[in-house]
Amino acid sequence: MTRGMIWLARRTIMVILVILLTTAIVAGCVGEKKAPAPAPEAEKPAEAPKEKPPISIGYLGPLTGDGAPWGKAELNTLEMLVEDMNQKGGLLGRKIKLSSYDNRMDQVETTNAARKLIEQNKVVAIIGTNSSSASIALAGVAEQYKIPHVATTATNPAVTVKESKVRPFSFRVCFIDPQQGAIMAKFAFDELKAKKVAVLYEVGSDYSVGLSEFFQKSFKALGGEIVAVEAYKTGDVDFRAQLTKIKAAKPDAIWLPALYKEIGLAANQARQLGIKSTLLGGDSWFNLDLFTVAKAAVEGSYLVQPVAMDDPGLNDFKARYKAKYGSEPGAEGANAFFANDAFSVLIDSIKRAGADDPLKIRDELEKTKALPGITGTLTISKDDHNPVDKEGVILKMEAGKYVFVKRTKP
Amino acid sequence: MEYWTGVLVISGINLIAILGVALFTGFTGLFSFGHGGFMAIGAYASALFAIRAGVPVPLGWAMGAVLAGAVSVLIGYPALRLRGDYFVIATLGFGETIRLLVENSHKLTGGARGLPDIPPGVNIWVVLVLDLMAIIALRNFIGSRHGRNCVAVREEETAAETVGIDTTRYKTIALAISAGLAGLSGALMASWIRYLHPSMFGLNKSTEITIAVILGGQGTLTGAVLAAMLLIPLPEVLRMAQEWRLVAYGLIVVLISVLRPEGLFGYREITFEGFRRLCRRPPSPPSGPVLNGEEASP
Amino acid sequence: MLQQIVNGLSIGSVYALMAVGYSLVYSLLNFTNFAHGVVVTAGAYLAFFTLTLVRPSFAVALLAAMVGGGLLSITYEILAYRPLLIKGGRRLFLIIAGLGISTIGENLIILRIGGRFKAYPPIFPMEPLHVGPVEIAVVDIMIVAVSLIALLIFQLIISRTRAGLAIRAAAHNLATAGLMGVNSDALVILVFLIAGTLAGLAGIFLGVKYTAYPQLGAMTLKAFISAVFGGLGSLPGAVAGAYALGILETFVSAYISSSMRDVFSFLLLVLVLLFRPQGLMGRPSGEKA
Repeated sequence: MTRGMIWLARRTIMVILVILLTTAIVAGCVGEKKAPAPAPEAEKPAEAPKEKPPISIGYLGPLTGDGAPWGKAELNTLEMLVEDMNQKGGLLGRKIKLSSYDNRMDQVETTNAARKLIEQNKVVAIIGTNSSSASIALAGVAEQYKIPHVATTATNPAVTVKESKVRPFSFRVCFIDPQQGAIMAKFAFDELKAKKVAVLYEVGSDYSVGLSEFFQKSFKALGGEIVAVEAYKTGDVDFRAQLTKIKAAKPDAIWLPALYKEIGLAANQARQLGIKSTLLGGDSWFNLDLFTVAKAAVEGSYLVQPVAMDDPGLNDFKARYKAKYGSEPGAEGANAFFANDAFSVLIDSIKRAGADDPLKIRDELEKTKALPGITGTLTISKDDHNPVDKEGVILKMEAGKYVFVKRTKP
Repeated sequence: MEYWTGVLVISGINLIAILGVALFTGFTGLFSFGHGGFMAIGAYASALFAIRAGVPVPLGWAMGAVLAGAVSVLIGYPALRLRGDYFVIATLGFGETIRLLVENSHKLTGGARGLPDIPPGVNIWVVLVLDLMAIIALRNFIGSRHGRNCVAVREEETAAETVGIDTTRYKTIALAISAGLAGLSGALMASWIRYLHPSMFGLNKSTEITIAVILGGQGTLTGAVLAAMLLIPLPEVLRMAQEWRLVAYGLIVVLISVLRPEGLFGYREITFEGFRRLCRRPPSPPSGPVLNGEEASP
Repeated sequence: MLQQIVNGLSIGSVYALMAVGYSLVYSLLNFTNFAHGVVVTAGAYLAFFTLTLVRPSFAVALLAAMVGGGLLSITYEILAYRPLLIKGGRRLFLIIAGLGISTIGENLIILRIGGRFKAYPPIFPMEPLHVGPVEIAVVDIMIVAVSLIALLIFQLIISRTRAGLAIRAAAHNLATAGLMGVNSDALVILVFLIAGTLAGLAGIFLGVKYTAYPQLGAMTLKAFISAVFGGLGSLPGAVAGAYALGILETFVSAYISSSMRDVFSFLLLVLVLLFRPQGLMGRPSGEKA
């Protein structure tokens, strides 16, 4: 190869590369514009020409990762509801378009995805999310862009209230952790006659931290004694150091507002250390996988749930879900039911607002009153954007099953 | 279009940190898996100054960057005496320690619950201007005597010492500059995303930056810019194949290390001079037999 | 307090299994093999699938994990490290390649198998053994027993066999050993095989204790700190470092603060590197001019 040929070859390659690069960039931009929602759309294929543009709403939740069962249940529910509604004529004479993104239950991912929903998909409201930490992150973005969002099962009060002031664009349809903590504290003190309780919680989770604090407050107010408070980091799997200290404090029961497999591992390790105290948990304990990890260890434990899973009021919904997806919702918790109610509240508010204006929707969300939902009657309080008068349910884990114990108010 | 501007902004912000590490790794030859820690310092410092002390945002950025640089000198003083592997491990340890400290001081930083509601201040123009300033400043530094000394450290440290170059001093300078840039990058990130969480600056972030520099190639700023523009927007472009992003990352890393360690643009730069040379006609071979010992002129 | 020591030893033995793998590769090839974590995770999953799909026998699963671990280890050595070593690549590229492999592995698992944890069917009895005031989990006894046996076997190989002699020679100087007639390629494969086997072993035990999940490999970072603490390049050092770290971590968790535990571990790492880089028992590393 002569020097000239080499030179020519190099130049040609460079030119080709530049052309390719430019094409890729342009194609990327154009492609994105043409397909604004790479996520599944729930729009019915138009048979008649649509006159009015669809109402665009968004969903954010974990579709991959540890929280995937929760997110998928919620998304399935929403897609089913949107499809049904569109078939019946839509909302305000317009179809509903649902765009969704995966937040992997991660706060940073949530802010990115939320921005994408708002800027690219132009949603007027968001349903999401299911976890407290992510919802708090979402709340910030929602406030920045003035788009209302309705959280499904996020229970930490900070989702809707920041430093005693309500967050104007954040709402939820489930109970909050102070209520959860109070419910379990009362149950433990009154029914289980536990006078001394130890706590083990996760430092990195808003949910866990909040629930731990609220339980302690309620329990102490009742006259009980908190004998040990231990914490672990996100990702930890060995809690024996903390459990050994807890054991030394000889508690009657242990409050364990943990998540995922940590519940099972902590339970196992507690039993392995010879701890016989009753274990108590929050709504994150509803997870059938727990029985595979720690069946013997969690035997006889109690947990709080936002709704009774076998409440007859849920049957209609369960049947619809099963008809469409082949299995009943609920194995992974109450997410599907709350997604349903979040949707109901949102749709009802949009109807009352008469338009898909985010600010009007927000105003109507605040005025939601006595709306029948499958998790209870929904009235949103103007002061903290939480549903009023929510009950809780106590379940017991026995022989690999969740057994209903009682329904109670905080 | 606003969305893609956002992607550009994030790339540009990360670019500043990548440029810093390009100096540290690409030109001075020291690998670091801890620069995420410096980003964290810059990010949290500037955010907290703005939130708690009402410091105007741009000043907060500067303070964050300076703080990061200062901390790096403190760490560098003992750490830079380590050789080879040990230094890399130390950077890893340091980066993780910073992240853990942030996570554990939740009264100050919000810890693992995050720090929301940071005041804004970043837009595409700010980022572009800062990027250009960084590139120009670094080009000048590298072209200077100091820059050449850094390269000497990379190439053959022992020889450099023999010639009288205070290698530790130059390593520290490179570290301080790269840490300051990383801190600035972190501060900008804080003002852009307006939400901070310690996981944003962990080992993943440090690795991401180092990989970008390696992908771009050692000894080249152009490479770093290219790599940044390729790697950072990738997760957004591939949003659908999100989960494969990390696999792709790993694959890129392995392939580059094994097949093309000099990266995309190793040891070369796009310069005006180079561009002119590009446009000149190709050198033509001597035509025919040489007469009387003279070559035919081009 | 005694119980805490037992807790620490239990964590330490898992670290030890992984730390030895690190130290082994380091002593021979002078670089830190960050891909080690992937083999541990793979071992955990292999054992899980063996137990659930093939036969619920611990021995079989153990074998599967060890064999699988060894094979995986050799595979990535041939694919990634060997070309680099042949080219005489800088050590740091080996580290980076290792990180890349680790990322690929972890995310492939998440993609193909799923991000949720996989709980092992019960193998060891849950009831702990009561030894005086202390509770010891049966699985922990198994770990210590098996690890000791494995390490003993390994020690015997090193000191009594020709292969072991070759390894020791190569650890001193790979090139010279080559001159003496040692097939260094085969030797490297052997070392990775052993390291991988030990990693697989660690994997199944981790799986039993903590379920199999994709980020399991992250724990190897602690093992790595143990190896550094004990002295990179010294195998007894790795074991000692691992147990020491396990106990120290547990004590920090118990008596200072559980959330500070990792801060402590990393600070320890940094301090060791700053003030005594050769760790407890390693050889000081200086670069020759």
